Amino acid sequence: MAQVGGAADRDAGGRIFRTHCAPCHGIKGTGGTGPDLTAGRFFHGSTDDDLYNNIGNGIAGTEMPGVFFNGKQVWQIVTFVRSLSQQPSPESLKGDPGRGRQLVQGKGCLGCHQIRGEGGARGPDLSVIGSQRAAGYLRESIIDPSAHVAYQYRVAKLVGKDKSRHTGFLMNQDTYMVQLLDFDKGLTTIPRDAIADYGVESGSIMPSYKDRLTGAEVDDIVAYLASLRRAKEATE
Amino acid sequence: MKTGIALLFLASVSLDAQITYDRLLKAAEEPQNWLTYSGSYKSWRYSALDQINRDNAGKLKVAWVHQMVTNHRIEATPIVVDGIMYVSEPPSNVFALDAATGRPFWHYKRSLPSKINVCCDAVNRGVAVLGDRVYLGTVDAHLVALNAKTGDVVWDVPVADYEKGYSVTGAPLIVKDMVITGIAGGEYGIRGFLDAYDAKTGKRRWRFNTVAGPGEKGHETWPGSGPNANAYQQGGGPTWVTGSYDPELNYIIWGVGNPSPDWNADVRPGDNLYTDSAIALDADTGQLKWHFQFVPHDANDWDAVQVPVLVDADWRGAPRKLIYWAHRGGFYYVLDRRTGEFLLGKPFAKQTWAKGLDDKGRPERLPNSTPTEQGAVIWPGVQGATNWYSPSYSPQTGYFYLTVWENKGFYLKGEPKYTPGNRYVGSVPDIDMEDDPGYGAIRALNPSTGEKVWEYKVSTKPWSGVLTTAGHVLFGSNGGWLSREREMMEAYFFALDSGTGKELWRINLGGTMSSNPITYTANGKQMVTMAAGGALFTFALP
Repeated sequence: MAQVGGAADRDAGGRIFRTHCAPCHGIKGTGGTGPDLTAGRFFHGSTDDDLYNNIGNGIAGTEMPGVFFNGKQVWQIVTFVRSLSQQPSPESLKGDPGRGRQLVQGKGCLGCHQIRGEGGARGPDLSVIGSQRAAGYLRESIIDPSAHVAYQYRVAKLVGKDKSRHTGFLMNQDTYMVQLLDFDKGLTTIPRDAIADYGVESGSIMPSYKDRLTGAEVDDIVAYLASLRRAKEATE
Repeated sequence: MKTGIALLFLASVSLDAQITYDRLLKAAEEPQNWLTYSGSYKSWRYSALDQINRDNAGKLKVAWVHQMVTNHRIEATPIVVDGIMYVSEPPSNVFALDAATGRPFWHYKRSLPSKINVCCDAVNRGVAVLGDRVYLGTVDAHLVALNAKTGDVVWDVPVADYEKGYSVTGAPLIVKDMVITGIAGGEYGIRGFLDAYDAKTGKRRWRFNTVAGPGEKGHETWPGSGPNANAYQQGGGPTWVTGSYDPELNYIIWGVGNPSPDWNADVRPGDNLYTDSAIALDADTGQLKWHFQFVPHDANDWDAVQVPVLVDADWRGAPRKLIYWAHRGGFYYVLDRRTGEFLLGKPFAKQTWAKGLDDKGRPERLPNSTPTEQGAVIWPGVQGATNWYSPSYSPQTGYFYLTVWENKGFYLKGEPKYTPGNRYVGSVPDIDMEDDPGYGAIRALNPSTGEKVWEYKVSTKPWSGVLTTAGHVLFGSNGGWLSREREMMEAYFFALDSGTGKELWRINLGGTMSSNPITYTANGKQMVTMAAGGALFTFALP
């Protein structure tokens, strides 16, 4: 029996969230060691009752613990978590997903991004991006791609002591080596003691589409991307 | 010849695990074994073994791997007794393994309630052994005695109420005929204690409350009134890392953790004794002999849950019983072991919260060094400049070794609302800051001055302790678990020259290392064991 509450419950839930949930899910619910909660869809069930059970009892086989709150307090947390994803559902977005799809194919997006097996590998796979990111985030990623650069899409530039040059995504690094998806050579490991110069760019390699698309075109693409969901969610 | 080998084999696995208190007193004289959490009552985490040394450590190979079935971190230090290794599997299980091969003899698997709240994963830091029994603390806050030969439960007693956030994660310490256990739950508003139980019966002998209540010395440091009059009842003070014992003084010396709630101290005015303190207790009665508080009225979660390292050494020209203690807040201390007197305090990492320490060792706090509603940037971060993982002292080099984090934190202050069994922390701080995530290091200090002798720098902040040996070797590792980018975690186990910090050997074990290495011998051959990911790795020379 769902008992999602109003603003007072949301605020009370937010206070609980900050102490009890934020250590893993982030202060804004955007994820940390625990998943992002802002897309409004959840791997272990997206109904209010699912959320209630998972928050109250934890999720077996994961690091998600149960809590000793009373039922009212758990509903307050559910109310707050719901508020994190109060973006329009894909159907009510003003764009046209069909036109968005054509734009994604026609404007070169697939040169870098992959959608369901088609496309490139110089940006995030968008196959189920509608299940992973809220519409507002998708819009921002088109207008201002450098606002949030996912860790594995930071670009590293490196010069070896042998004068070799490498540019690519920084896949990993540790005390002893740097691992790149080199744009020319593919997956490459370079020992730190072979490096003469090394730096990581702060921005994204994706250009802003703010002046390359009309407002209506951005709406269409957002609507299309928001419709790309995991199979079991597509019919919800 | 065949018969001879068979007999030797039988002899090596059928020896009774009879650990007397006398053997524990002289544990350092049995380097073939690893008999207590820190290797001896002095807690040096040092071994006299030298088969593996700085000349041959580069040839170390994996001897065996024992995979556990767990998705919790392994924080355990194994105990090795006459060829048998006893090691806990998180959350609250135990394996008895053949220390030569890693093959299990038995597995104690505890049934746990479905809902248990432990702040930082359901872990266990190891077992203790006395006689033919193995002692284990559990995350549902029980103390259990197992038959060392079979893993059968001999007794099982409640220590506290897990539904109120109490749990046992630390390894017990045997003193005489008692099992000493601490308690965890500093993020759940527990009232902490240190307990002693009769090793035969499980009956409690004494309890020392680490948060002083009415009628107890130190209660005046909880002067809250009105709605905060009973703040001590949820005052924290957990004791989740195994302490040390001085048999001559008959003092148990133990570290006490943070006051609760962690990051909002408004509800608990006063110094909040004995949180963030070293305490010395009479082993027979649990009476407090002295205390030294590192951080009065802590609001940064800088627990004093470090292993006290007990050394008898010259101090400014005269022999003295000392304690070396590198505290989470970033200062290295030398204390007098008889009295708790403060002798030295010096930062071993960057810190921005204290101008210095006064002549009693009390910090002179700087402004803007506690959490605020907008957030305050302070060095060290909330996980400290070091933490619970073990330091080491080598009598061979005379150096004190530790794992260090150079890092800052963003400390936010929030609502301190207590509800039984739930987190009671008053906000959430942030670490691994994007603009300056910091780094880790293994450092050697001159223990008489606190000066750094050498450093081995690593890019991922380690969550594991160090071991030194008479082979001029230090074993340590890097690899964090609480990182913004878990995929970036590194996980190397390495051997360094304990005199210089020069790397001798390293291996990528590919999983979180969050415990402390040990060494022992199996069939006369020196072995080194470290947990990584869900497995226990043991190394030896080919």
